[in-house]
Amino acid sequence: MQGATRADQFVPAGLAALGIEADEVELATIGALHQLLWPPVLELLALDTGDVEPESRPDLSKAPR
Amino acid sequence: MSADPLDLGLRAQAAAIAAGEVDPAELLAAALARIEQRNPALNAIVETFPERSREMLAAAPAGPLHGVPVAIKDEWPLPWRAQRFGAAELTAPTAPAESGPYRALRDAGAVIVGVGNMHELGAGSTGATSYYGPARNPWDPERCPGGSSSGPASSVAARLVAAAVGADGLGSVRFPAAYCGLTGLKPTFGRAAMEGHHMAPTTSLIVSGPLCADAADCRLLGAVLCGEDLPAGDAAGLRIGVVRDAVSEDVTPDVRRACEEAIEALREQTGGEVREIELPDLEPATIAALLIINAESMGGVAPQQLNDLHPELSPVARSSLKYRMLLPATATVQATRVRTLMRRRLAALFDDVDAIAWPTIPAPAPPLEAPVVELPSGPAIADQANIRGAALANLTGIPAISVPVGFSDGLPVALQLQAAWGADSLLLDAAEALERANGRRWVEARPPLAEATPMEA
Repeated sequence: MQGATRADQFVPAGLAALGIEADEVELATIGALHQLLWPPVLELLALDTGDVEPESRPDLSKAPR
Repeated sequence: MSADPLDLGLRAQAAAIAAGEVDPAELLAAALARIEQRNPALNAIVETFPERSREMLAAAPAGPLHGVPVAIKDEWPLPWRAQRFGAAELTAPTAPAESGPYRALRDAGAVIVGVGNMHELGAGSTGATSYYGPARNPWDPERCPGGSSSGPASSVAARLVAAAVGADGLGSVRFPAAYCGLTGLKPTFGRAAMEGHHMAPTTSLIVSGPLCADAADCRLLGAVLCGEDLPAGDAAGLRIGVVRDAVSEDVTPDVRRACEEAIEALREQTGGEVREIELPDLEPATIAALLIINAESMGGVAPQQLNDLHPELSPVARSSLKYRMLLPATATVQATRVRTLMRRRLAALFDDVDAIAWPTIPAPAPPLEAPVVELPSGPAIADQANIRGAALANLTGIPAISVPVGFSDGLPVALQLQAAWGADSLLLDAAEALERANGRRWVEARPPLAEATPMEA
């Protein structure tokens, strides 16, 4: 799986860039989380929302204006 | 009275106290004794404070919940206790305080008798992980009680209390209600008391909400939390929207059958109709909700903080906190656009239907030891499967309710109803109509350890 291969680099590199330490157990767990969450994140980013005019300060207690 | 008053529902307990049939001091003592007796098998209540409870009772005004013992999730500070959020450590500062739900309960005359367990950091739909050890499901103590409001649900299902206050950021009232056979309301965003929650200033998803045996009890506690009446109607002519998608079809056969039967019963009871509707992009909506709650909860956290986490924080929580720092901001911005997209789609849909119905959970409570569910698409981590039916309401702000509709191998299954912004009362009306349609058999079912006990003469 391409995403999993990338996780081998992305996760340690990303954590290191932020100065976040992780032991082996954490790295393995984060890798599993990444495999779970990254594909839907990519799908979300690929979604065409160009026609969606963002709500300005949406009031979530009400229907959109 | 022929039955132990602790076995009564919320409104019946309140009515019995108001009528002078039950002494609230005796009821409080009985609730504490029952917690002592039943809680060791459940771990639903993580702390009691009898003296504080007696002080609340002594000062209780003549409100709608006068003298009634209730539980509150470990997500809310109390004047004598900071919330722990089911964790050894929070990334946000906490302190004892008068939270909104505490004030609402106090002003209604209720007596907080204990703090309910919860999934660690609120980050799970099962309740399988907690600083206190997991709460257990009264229907099978080896099964998950649901999360993150695990203790509130377990304590109500076991009749330690008649009602409890939970919180719902991504289904955290509805999942435990479903797993434990209760009714749980996620009110419209912003409607229920939130003051004092450590994320109150930043959240656009979390609400407080009631967990009770039935919809009328949820209406009573929901009105207290919302600070306004949730007037009863009859849901006549209810137009029910159903979605032919994984959220309603990638579920176990028992769940599918029970929910389809419930939808048909609700249609018949209300003289309404069922309409198939299109609601695309539920999966992007789910990850959008996750990204937004992630940004809102991690916004003030410095990366260096994560190198000095409490050693008793679970490895999963530690890893999750660290991974969440890697999620890209561009995706969160995209998530807000998807939020707008889904809000507009729902607004249009609610011109044609009054409620959208699908299973609250795709499968009944999985084992605590391995929270995995077997679905038509294959085995799935319960958290991953559960969230796809719950996130939409939090993302868009609409209210939702989980209603018990049957059993699968002795474990409860539930239907979720979602309605337009502000239509919380309609959801309660629909839930009550469903109860009438099935003769209240699911809301009156009790786990063996909570069988009604006759009082000694």
